[in-house]
Amino acid sequence: MVVSFKESAKTDPRIKLIAARMKKEGFKPDSLIEILHTAQGAYGYLPKDILLYIAQSLRLPLSRVFSTVTFYHFFSLKSKGEHTCIVCTGTACYVKGAQALLNKLESSFGLKPGQVTADNKLGVQVARCIGACGLAPAAVIDNEVAGKVDAEELIQTINMKTGIV
Amino acid sequence: MNKIPVVINDTKLEVDPHKTILEVCREHDIEILTMCHLKGIIDIGACRLCLVEVEGVHKLMSACTTKVAPNMVVKTSTERIRRYQLITTELFFAERNHVCAVCVSNGKCELQQLGYKVGLDSIRYPFLYPQCDVDTSHAWYVMDHNRCIMCTRCVRVCNEVEGAHNWDVMNRGHQVRIISDFNTPWGESISCTSCGKCLHACPTGAIWPKAIVQGQLQKNPAMITELIARRKMKL
Repeated sequence: MVVSFKESAKTDPRIKLIAARMKKEGFKPDSLIEILHTAQGAYGYLPKDILLYIAQSLRLPLSRVFSTVTFYHFFSLKSKGEHTCIVCTGTACYVKGAQALLNKLESSFGLKPGQVTADNKLGVQVARCIGACGLAPAAVIDNEVAGKVDAEELIQTINMKTGIV
Repeated sequence: MNKIPVVINDTKLEVDPHKTILEVCREHDIEILTMCHLKGIIDIGACRLCLVEVEGVHKLMSACTTKVAPNMVVKTSTERIRRYQLITTELFFAERNHVCAVCVSNGKCELQQLGYKVGLDSIRYPFLYPQCDVDTSHAWYVMDHNRCIMCTRCVRVCNEVEGAHNWDVMNRGHQVRIISDFNTPWGESISCTSCGKCLHACPTGAIWPKAIVQGQLQKNPAMITELIARRKMKL
């Protein structure tokens, strides 16, 4: 039942990172969300065995951890892709043509919002508003905000980052 | 402890402070409908059936989570409250797939009794007919999500009384479901102690023991209240 992470922690820097964060927080059960942030940052999503490791380390019920993960849209149980493109669909961006960007992404890569390419290279997501309405339509490519995005440019930028042609 | 005066349904009462409106009403045999309340476990005000009017407050307050205050004027049975109770009950039935005729809980179900009490004769909202699983993986018990009303009494009993915290709630909105562990089948849960308290806490036929036929289910939620009281005595 108890997963031996001690051995793998020596080799996997991501587990080391999570372990260090938990230690820093003093293994407090109420630091769960901070640690989930760290884990998601390290893996890009939250694998089940990592959730088990966190739950056991913080002495939290498994169902409580799963409940927290599924409640917040920020956390994901599935891989979001090595590279991500988040298109803002807030009111301003929507009016300025966010849908055209999404259509272009779908025709170019065959991805609808929430989907990831088969090789896990690229994932497309939508956000309600990223707070950059002055830059509408806005997109976030690998944590970099791009403003006044043109559909063609967007595809080119993604191609450059991911190596998909 | 000094008692404080409150007025409930035009009757002056002297009551203990630190008590909720619901506790005071139950003590004085004033009827308040509840679904998510189970005496002894923490109230969360989820079912919205215990809503009461408090003078000077525009919105309706849930009696189970609102404490009495000096000179509070409360009304528990007005036209407005009865209208909301009917709406709430209709929404309960429209949200999942409740079919009394084939339910183990038929005749002993708190949801069914609530329907009778509020005079439910038709449902004005479209049924959602969600796809719900029936988890029969546990050796003794069944979890039927079709009949669940998300009162979370099982979640709270499992956490507060048994201390196992096998149950919790996943997702949000219409996608909410009661889960055991990482949404693993109940039978494969590593937290569940198979104590059966959730079964007795459940107001509907959502959790029931196997080898029970239609209408034969006997639940005993008062047992849980008694259990909590006895444990407090030992402390």
